[in-house]
Amino acid sequence: MEEYAREPCPWRIVDDCGGAFTMGTIGGGIFQAFKGFRNSPVGVNHRLRGSLTAIKTRAPQLGGSFAVWGGLFSTIDCGMVQIRGKEDPWNSITSGALTGAILAARNGPVAMVGSAAMGGILLALIEGAGILLTRFASAQFPNGPQFAEDHSQLPSSQLPSSPFGDYRQYQ
Amino acid sequence: LGRQLLLPHFVLTKACLKTQPLRWGLREQKKTVQPRTVLGFTQKTFWTQGPDPRKAKEDSSKQVSINRNQREETGVSTSQKVKEAGRDVTYLIVVLFGVSITGSLLYTIFKELFSSSSPNIIYGKALGKCRTHPEVISVFGEPVKGYGEMSRRGRRQHVSFTEYANNGLKRIRVKFYIEGSEPGKQGTVHAEVEENPRSGQFDFRYIFVDVAPKRSIVVEDNRFQQS
Repeated sequence: MEEYAREPCPWRIVDDCGGAFTMGTIGGGIFQAFKGFRNSPVGVNHRLRGSLTAIKTRAPQLGGSFAVWGGLFSTIDCGMVQIRGKEDPWNSITSGALTGAILAARNGPVAMVGSAAMGGILLALIEGAGILLTRFASAQFPNGPQFAEDHSQLPSSQLPSSPFGDYRQYQ
Repeated sequence: LGRQLLLPHFVLTKACLKTQPLRWGLREQKKTVQPRTVLGFTQKTFWTQGPDPRKAKEDSSKQVSINRNQREETGVSTSQKVKEAGRDVTYLIVVLFGVSITGSLLYTIFKELFSSSSPNIIYGKALGKCRTHPEVISVFGEPVKGYGEMSRRGRRQHVSFTEYANNGLKRIRVKFYIEGSEPGKQGTVHAEVEENPRSGQFDFRYIFVDVAPKRSIVVEDNRFQQS
């Protein structure tokens, strides 16, 4: 049923935008809860109300910023997949750098370069974390080579080459 | 697939870890305020000792007051030094912890992208050879696209691979997928490289493409020559 698996890229933009918004809102909510709590006058009611007010005012802003970043990043990433015809970690790093640069465009070219560097480094770290976690997860389930040393689909490779040309086709 | 499911959660936890430096920064701001108040207290103690020499007119009483001042100074400064040293060591440990984590992540990504034995490099080279192979082009159509295993979030950037040793030489086997402009056609590419003992580089042993249902395209096969 691999033939019916849908291409992930166009839908992934929406998925990533929503996921980024959720992360920003939840993370921002937690952070602003503590900040509002500490910034309020003495008294439990005052502190709780200050905490809630801070969450309501600032968490949506942070969620929006994350959504813009995630949506633009995913759009550029899908564009690169389409152009390069290849998916590898370079797409993520380049997309992170370009996203940082584009979102800092209003601040001038110097800020764009700085934001591009920050975006690229951040995505490199995220890719590094992903690779480390993959290796760690696979190390937890050690299994030898899952198939024979040489594939059985090519038994005739040991035979002398056929006179029909350099390209071999088996059915 | 179970392994890939772990990725997003751990990545999220990593993202949470990255917010911690901000908290430490906040704590630093708090603690920097404290020394000023401590200094204020010490200044006050000095002022309270000031009137004593003025009141005493006899020489012996003056000497006694001077000794008292010296003793109190050394006591206060010693305790402050100990506190500052402890705080500095704590900050240094935190900074080293952060730098080591960041360093290991950067090392991992650089090794993946630039080492000649990394699965990503092998994937790139094998895909390049597949793209120029006429039989692959005729089956899938141009342009040929390549990608790795699908993760939960729809990203396919990491190819599956396995490493093993044969006759003391390291081998890496990589599996990825290709598809072209023909709709519904998808191929699984198996590629294997072996360490060349003379040059230290990794040379391809074979590259072949599995096309459903029962067909294989041999892009490169060097097993007979090497074995």
